[in-house]
Amino acid sequence: MMTESKEIKLIDEEGRRVDGRKPDELRPIRIEAGVLEKSDGSAYIEVGRTKIFAAVFGPREVHPKHLELPDRAVLNCRYHMASFSVDERKPLGMTRREIELSKVLREALETVVFLEEFPRTMIDVFVEVIQADGGTRTAGITAASLALADAGIPMSDLIAATAVGKVAGTLVLDINDIEDKYGEADMPVAMTPRRNSIVLLQLNGRMTSEELKKALEMASQGIKKIYQLQIEALKKRYSVVSLEE
Amino acid sequence: MYYFNEKEIVVPGQLLADDPKKSGPGTYVLDGKVYAAHAGLPKLRDGVVVVIPLKGPYKPEAGDWIVGVVTDVKPSSIEVDLGGYMTAVLKYPERQGPPEGLTVGDVIYARVKSSNIRGVFLESEEMKKLTNGIIISMTPARIPRLIGRKGSMIALLKKETGCNFWVGRNGLIVVSGKSSEGESAAISAIRVVEKEAHSQGLTDRVAALLKSAKGRNHDDREQGDKAN
Amino acid sequence: MSLSTKSPRMSPIKIMQNRIYELLKQGKRIDGRAPHEIRPVSISTSVIEKADGSAMVSMGGTKILTGIKVETGTPYSDRPNEGVFTVNAELLPLASASFEPGPPDERAVELARIVDRCIRESRAIDLEKLVITEGERVYMLYIDIYVLDYDGNYFDPAVLSAVAALATCKIPRYEVRNGKLERVEGESMKTPIRTIPVSVMIGVIQDRLLVDPSPMEERALDTSVILGYDSDSNIVSIQKNAPGLLSLNIMEQIIELGSKKAEELRSILVEAVGLG
Repeated sequence: MMTESKEIKLIDEEGRRVDGRKPDELRPIRIEAGVLEKSDGSAYIEVGRTKIFAAVFGPREVHPKHLELPDRAVLNCRYHMASFSVDERKPLGMTRREIELSKVLREALETVVFLEEFPRTMIDVFVEVIQADGGTRTAGITAASLALADAGIPMSDLIAATAVGKVAGTLVLDINDIEDKYGEADMPVAMTPRRNSIVLLQLNGRMTSEELKKALEMASQGIKKIYQLQIEALKKRYSVVSLEE
Repeated sequence: MYYFNEKEIVVPGQLLADDPKKSGPGTYVLDGKVYAAHAGLPKLRDGVVVVIPLKGPYKPEAGDWIVGVVTDVKPSSIEVDLGGYMTAVLKYPERQGPPEGLTVGDVIYARVKSSNIRGVFLESEEMKKLTNGIIISMTPARIPRLIGRKGSMIALLKKETGCNFWVGRNGLIVVSGKSSEGESAAISAIRVVEKEAHSQGLTDRVAALLKSAKGRNHDDREQGDKAN
Repeated sequence: MSLSTKSPRMSPIKIMQNRIYELLKQGKRIDGRAPHEIRPVSISTSVIEKADGSAMVSMGGTKILTGIKVETGTPYSDRPNEGVFTVNAELLPLASASFEPGPPDERAVELARIVDRCIRESRAIDLEKLVITEGERVYMLYIDIYVLDYDGNYFDPAVLSAVAALATCKIPRYEVRNGKLERVEGESMKTPIRTIPVSVMIGVIQDRLLVDPSPMEERALDTSVILGYDSDSNIVSIQKNAPGLLSLNIMEQIIELGSKKAEELRSILVEAVGLG
């Protein structure tokens, strides 16, 4: 827990951040696909200390029936945080932030899924944050798109995401919790890596238009790296399993 | 020009070819190029690129054989759970009563009559009530591989385990054998088929697994006999 | 992939129910286990750094994550010299097609209360040691259980994960200095634990018992009971958690079987968390 009296140097004399990273450096990332058994597709991601599970169910019949769409699937997304995932315990139940992020994530995912392949069904995506240390919605959507791919749901592209921030006047890639809390801007970006298109974009804070352009470029570079890890995770999932004798 | 290797998994959005005429199932065309629409194995088949998904939902088609569980019996129709959150309907003439005296909890092997906006309907003719066996589920995407070319894989399983199999295109399977060892071996083999991505050599590997399982059971039984 | 989950209480599949009982009579189960065999258990603790205590437990395919957050607060008026703990559980929609998003339903509430009972009735936590100022300020332990993957029997792994998280919890120390409540930086204490409760879920089909049922087995059971035991093999909680008749004649067998399995689970737990 941070106390006010501590002086936090977000960028030191050598340009290093609180965790020793350079401004354009990502935190250590670990991505795995197919980690849960009961869902149709799943993934797990760690970005620094942020830890998230994502799972997909569907396409499945819609209940109640009146919610179904005649020409495509309905995609639902729930972004939820465990009570112990944050510094101060979060009480049970959905907060306004979780509701907003659920919407923003859903809209991004809807853009890439071929929903018309499954009319009158629903696809449920669940993003469960078990530890939050900055960048939960971006890590969440990175895992969620991987879970959709793991479920065999047809998509035009994967989605990879990261957040760019500004601390002590410097643009930094993949902000952690401290940088988010004490920095001047926080911009989560999600993109389809192959087509270089943005599917999620938000900004909290203040940037000049020059900074914004640079930040988007920085995000795009980071996203390319994250995309490679997603590909590796899927390949690993289906590598030939040796027969157990 | 093709951009894939049949031995490597592709991811959604991966570039496969630059001739839009080469787009087959599991791919899509954008700006004149062909891309993968799922995670899966790319293959050149009948002159087009297809991506075979390793997991995926069931899309019912008329003529498909399915395995289902009866969840509701109404005066002139029966609701059948196909797994994967899908329910099908079997209609029957009210005065005749439910075919084979079906009640909730029964397992059937039946043919899909039609699948459209109104739902999935099953044929009541040729419908079989299954009365013995173990029901397991597997991703529908791998069912064709379990059946094998001209039924070769399932025939291998039948021969090596002595079990009977009812394989539903919807991913539900009933295995029924004379011994629980045979059934266990059959279920293990089915799991291997489900997990293995590459199709080369899969049949051989499954055959080897079953032969070694048979050998183990034989030894156990011999030892058991000796102990007695 | 799962069989339809329109209702949580799914009717049994006849061929499976018959087969499961036939196999039980031969001392076998569909997944190859013996009737009294528990699936492999794995326990990892301190997996969530932001939580004061945490444990991830898997029993077969069922995975449960428990986290503990410690705060301070006022004690119950009738127990001024005791700290407070609460247990909450969520059946995350991630874990099963039959778990819907939303506030905890009756199953989640039942799970939380069963885990709570095991810990409370065994007096596992020495609550008197969790007092800062009697009658005014005490430690509050929030034990939150999340079911991440449901492959049958979430009860036993939930109790294991809650107790493992408690056993490895680092309670941040607070003190009252000059009338102000202050965190003592760098100091923490271990949860004062007196006994290690565990639970055992036992399923009944006619005259046969099985432990740690898989989902297909749960569907085929006549009924089931969950028993909680402390380190001295006292029974500290019982819950018949399913409809159906429970024959009086079989109770003695159930209690004995439960006691044996509890010892087994306790030793797995003790080894995993390094308790004496």
